[in-house]
Amino acid sequence: MSRTVRLSIAWIIGLIIAIIIPHVVGIVYTNVIVTFMMDAVFAISVNLLLGFTGLLSFGHAMFFGVGGYAAALALTHIPGFPLIGVIFVSGFAAFILGCIVAPLLCRVTGTAFAMLTLAFGMLMYVICLKFREITGGEDGIAGYDTPPIHLGFTNIDITDPTNFYYFALVVLGIVTFLMWWLVKTPFGTVMVGIRDNSLRVDYLGYRVKHSKALVVIISGTMAGFVGGVYALFHNLVSTDGVLTVFVSFYPLMATYIGGIGSFFGPIFGSAILQIFDELTSRYTERVDLVNGIIFILVVMYAPMGAVGLWWSFKTWALKKLQKA
Amino acid sequence: MNILETSGLYFDYKGLEVLFDVNLQVEKGERHAVIGPNGAGKTTLFNVIIGSLIPRRGKVTFKEHDITKASPHELFRHGMGRSFQITSTFQKQTPFQNVRSAILSKRGIRFNMWKRVDKLDDITRETDEVLKKLNLYNERDYPASALSYGKNRSLEFGMAVASDPDLIMLDEPTAGMSRDETHDAVNLIRSLSEGKSMVIIEHDMDVVFSLADRITVLHHGEILATGAPNDIKNNQQVRDAYLGETEV
Repeated sequence: MSRTVRLSIAWIIGLIIAIIIPHVVGIVYTNVIVTFMMDAVFAISVNLLLGFTGLLSFGHAMFFGVGGYAAALALTHIPGFPLIGVIFVSGFAAFILGCIVAPLLCRVTGTAFAMLTLAFGMLMYVICLKFREITGGEDGIAGYDTPPIHLGFTNIDITDPTNFYYFALVVLGIVTFLMWWLVKTPFGTVMVGIRDNSLRVDYLGYRVKHSKALVVIISGTMAGFVGGVYALFHNLVSTDGVLTVFVSFYPLMATYIGGIGSFFGPIFGSAILQIFDELTSRYTERVDLVNGIIFILVVMYAPMGAVGLWWSFKTWALKKLQKA
Repeated sequence: MNILETSGLYFDYKGLEVLFDVNLQVEKGERHAVIGPNGAGKTTLFNVIIGSLIPRRGKVTFKEHDITKASPHELFRHGMGRSFQITSTFQKQTPFQNVRSAILSKRGIRFNMWKRVDKLDDITRETDEVLKKLNLYNERDYPASALSYGKNRSLEFGMAVASDPDLIMLDEPTAGMSRDETHDAVNLIRSLSEGKSMVIIEHDMDVVFSLADRITVLHHGEILATGAPNDIKNNQQVRDAYLGETEV
């Protein structure tokens, strides 16, 4: 039982740190942490496709963006829309988009899949750019009110950064838990099977196309939830902010840097990118240059990312210890 | 009763006739071997039966289902298990996970997203039983890529039979094995296919004659003879076409 005990202690310590951290680091860094959490969970949703099912998506921003737009539109046009409703609407919008694109995406693999997702992503970008009356075009949608959380006896105002941090922590925590649960279920084993050998999976009686479509829909829905949180956090949703290819690339980079082989890898990747963003932006504007160099180095010398490095270090250290 | 039947199969690769009016009958409960010299069309026949090639003419019937154009997962659900000539296991996963995928599918647990797979105790137990039969229980938790070639072939065969299929299709199960490994593999196949129907494509005559109840000889895309091993051994036509070239 020692493993269980150790795990629960780690969880409790982690939870305490998560709760007190906004009071320790101040408002600016609380917002940085919220950004990091959104990036991390978005990256995990990308990793469901990339790391677990072996599908490289260059257009995941479409789900993220649609979630964001859905939240912004609901808040702009429906007075008194509840906060929980916002989150569900953004997830639902991404789910609908997933149901539309998944039947096409599930028929292809590899490069074709990447290109098709890129095409759909760009299509979403252009649609939102052109339907100015609805989406506000380049300016996007801004200035909507963020509703408080109604708790019956009191209202929690989430425009306060600390309160928003807790709100994001809970929502993104639940989304992460759902995805973690998914990879542990029998369906999770099918996903990994498709990554390793989809022909064999087919001969084992699983419907590969249906399963792939389902992964696309689930992963997209999860990204949609994160998009909803983004819309509430920034109070602004624009094509450049949520729908460009760079929005799709960033979580891919975070996933590769963290390690595509593990569920929690993207979290480390996002943290590393966020830290480097913070540090480099103090000295230079060329943040993307630094990110790119890190990405190249990881792909060349640590293809399994930070988590892979940690594993190799562990085996190396164990060998050293056994010799000594 | 025939469990598998092909009637009038024709297949060509862009005009090159490979199968020519092939009528194969596999009876329920027999181990049926298909042999023939290189280029006789054995592997093509195998691929037509398991649906990865569509014949130009003719029909494949399995348990009274027309499976000529069936997709792989439909074949599995009708009760056909196949092995691959080139080992095709999940290399990054352990033998346990490999076999478990077959067991889960057999139980129809395919889209389950609300139960943790490691908490399904009866699945775990059944998987362990299969691994013990395959002599892979000691290697249960190593990645398949770390296992020897022979062990991987056992796993390959195991995944084909783990789902308890009515018909087992084996494509050169002992290809690339050493003498000892072949011997073990034959014993394994014999014990796990007891009382089941099986079609086996094989080069190695020792394997064929020690496993098969009935043999079909394919030559230039046509069936030359079908019969019990002894009849085939003594068939002059077969000797001329094939067996004369190798020692039996």
